[in-house]
Amino acid sequence: MSSSSTETASIVDVTMPQMGVSVAEGTVVAWRVEVGDRIEADQTICEISTDKIDTEVPAPVSGVVTEIVVPVDTTVAVGEVLARVATGEGAEAASTERPPAPTEEPAEAPGPSAEAEKTTPASRPSYAHADGNGHADRRRYSPVVQRIASEHGVDLAQVPGTGRGGRVRKQDLLAFIEQGGAPEAGAAAAGEEPPLHIESPYRPEPTPPRPAAPPPGAAPTAAPAPGELSRMRRQIGEHMKRSLETAATCTTWIEADMSRVESARKGLGATALAFVARATIAALREHPDLNAWLEGERYTRHHAIHLGIAVSLGENGLIVPVIHDAHELSVEGLAGRIKDLARRARDGGLTPDEVRGGTFTITNPGQFGSIMATPIINQPQVGILDFEAVIKRPVVVADADGNDSIAIRPMTILGLSWDHRALDGAIAAQFLASVKRHLEARTGA
Amino acid sequence: MAPLTYLQAISAALRDELRADDRVLIMGEDIGAFGGAFKVTDGFVSEFGPERVMDTPLAESGIIGTAVGAAVVGMRPVCEMQFSDFISCGFDQLVNVAGKMHYRQGLAVPITVRLPSGGGFSGGPFHSQNPEGWFMHAPGIKIVAPSTAEDAKGLLHTAIRDPNPVCYMEHKHLYRRIKGEVPEGVFETPLTARVARSGSDLVVIAYGAMVHTALEATEDLEDASIEVLDLRSLVPLDEDAILDSVARCSKVVIVDEANSTCAAGAQVAALIAERGFEDLDGPVVRVATPDVPIPFSPPLEQAVLPNVDRVREACRELLEY
Repeated sequence: MSSSSTETASIVDVTMPQMGVSVAEGTVVAWRVEVGDRIEADQTICEISTDKIDTEVPAPVSGVVTEIVVPVDTTVAVGEVLARVATGEGAEAASTERPPAPTEEPAEAPGPSAEAEKTTPASRPSYAHADGNGHADRRRYSPVVQRIASEHGVDLAQVPGTGRGGRVRKQDLLAFIEQGGAPEAGAAAAGEEPPLHIESPYRPEPTPPRPAAPPPGAAPTAAPAPGELSRMRRQIGEHMKRSLETAATCTTWIEADMSRVESARKGLGATALAFVARATIAALREHPDLNAWLEGERYTRHHAIHLGIAVSLGENGLIVPVIHDAHELSVEGLAGRIKDLARRARDGGLTPDEVRGGTFTITNPGQFGSIMATPIINQPQVGILDFEAVIKRPVVVADADGNDSIAIRPMTILGLSWDHRALDGAIAAQFLASVKRHLEARTGA
Repeated sequence: MAPLTYLQAISAALRDELRADDRVLIMGEDIGAFGGAFKVTDGFVSEFGPERVMDTPLAESGIIGTAVGAAVVGMRPVCEMQFSDFISCGFDQLVNVAGKMHYRQGLAVPITVRLPSGGGFSGGPFHSQNPEGWFMHAPGIKIVAPSTAEDAKGLLHTAIRDPNPVCYMEHKHLYRRIKGEVPEGVFETPLTARVARSGSDLVVIAYGAMVHTALEATEDLEDASIEVLDLRSLVPLDEDAILDSVARCSKVVIVDEANSTCAAGAQVAALIAERGFEDLDGPVVRVATPDVPIPFSPPLEQAVLPNVDRVREACRELLEY
């Protein structure tokens, strides 16, 4: 940003931000402010899109918007001026269409409370609402009560407590849910394990506090008209179609016994996906032909494993954040990274560098109990592993003396889609056998 | 299948093992002609002879050291400490020699050390201790602590047949107070916890004599459904069973007869804090002996040892939380 002083006001340029080292340009998707609007520092002024990531541009300073330089749907290079904001006394003069905001003593009204004073000048800042929990509930809750409430979407402020000092005990909450107090009591059956295998393999998390409401007069985010595909859907469609047209896609499956993973998983508090990721990395080390790119006739085998994890954004589509140098991470490390990337993917908080450079991808859509799929390769990679539901099945097991018996084991079917241009079926089968072996032995993980 | 006392169950296990396996021998102070301070080995010397039922000098270091040597060359010695308190004299042989032999030299040391432990009978500071925590802290040693006659027998079989050094904590106060049906013949009790009573509102975790204290304290408590988990094995600790109880009950009282600091229950509390946090609906509550020697005076001893009233009060407080 640069600024130029006049005798009454400074004009500050808002520029296209550098979103990652490999990003050179971005497209303005929507403006949230209009010329003449008074804005606060860090308030979102426009939305931009770079390749796959959509993000928001915050205002660098408080002031009044004097000029919008780049119209919607225009692509500009990093560093180019998007808009200009006037600060200082000149800003007051420039803001002719609105009543002067009570900023004579700005030191007394920083941040969110300034926002509150602007809308309801008589009210005091509400700290109960500013704590990020979204409600004014000052009671404290035990870990199990918070967990159950989160799983059932219960607002704990509504739950009567019978513990000491009106504390909400576990049985109070369970009784409340049983009486239908939970808004979505059917969403997660009480006491059940949360689903292991969803594309975003985590419990639903509390909705993050919403950013300040867009200021009045802001242009609403352009919603697609009925029948029109969203920008992300169009991009996903193009990628998928191009992959199927480019690659000679074959799919091979193998069945794996997840008993050891299941018991280890509980110990670590990690998801099964982290173990599958770790086993995949170990198998890629043994079969590096699959950790590669095929671009036209150029085949590049990679040493480092940059592991893509497909994350569902619900109705909004799908994104594949990449765990760079995944081979350096333990199961715990992978679990932490997957969780972080998935959460930020859903919050729109990924940087473009975090969705680039993948050398192999895992997809994990088992939330609804599906057991097999034929995933589409993420170009220019040459393989993608599909991990679906873990289901208890009767299987034949042999004891140390070789006697067969039938046992109940948590089983899963792993599917590998691979590019027959780059490799042959024997390698795919060996790779899957290796993943299976690592999962069942859980050594070196 | 006749009911046996806890003490008779221990005798029966020793006798069965001596009969079943020539490699088994027992060593200790006054265990031969005298039959042992508590008469666990009464009559053994006439059946098995002084070669396999060895009276030793009053030197715990010598008893355990000799047993380690015998174990390394293929025997399965069972050492009796007359009182568990006296094992401090054999500490180095057990902790540094037996416990680390496999790590250092790859040699198995299948010895069992019987430790008559616990108070409640005015034995004073040298005859009432619960020293299991000392050995939980030392790698390479397993520790079991039966609370019933059946487990007293089954766990002793398991201990003797285990390839590692095992401390077998036998609670003196239970010797003749506890009686129960015990299956005949050799059976090995797994080194896992046992649900002594199942419940859903609160779990009391205990082992040894405190299991009985916990059961009595929570027999009829405000209609609450109280689980009692008997650990049975302290090393290895049955972490899955503990976390499973915590997940179902969400409130936990841990009872130790040992001095509070770094007791087995402290390790259980740490486990729950680390891995059961999201299942908790209240603070983890401990009831243990304060960090003082055990007094001779009967009223003073009763004041420091966890008793039914203290455990019941702790449960009531936590239920109301």
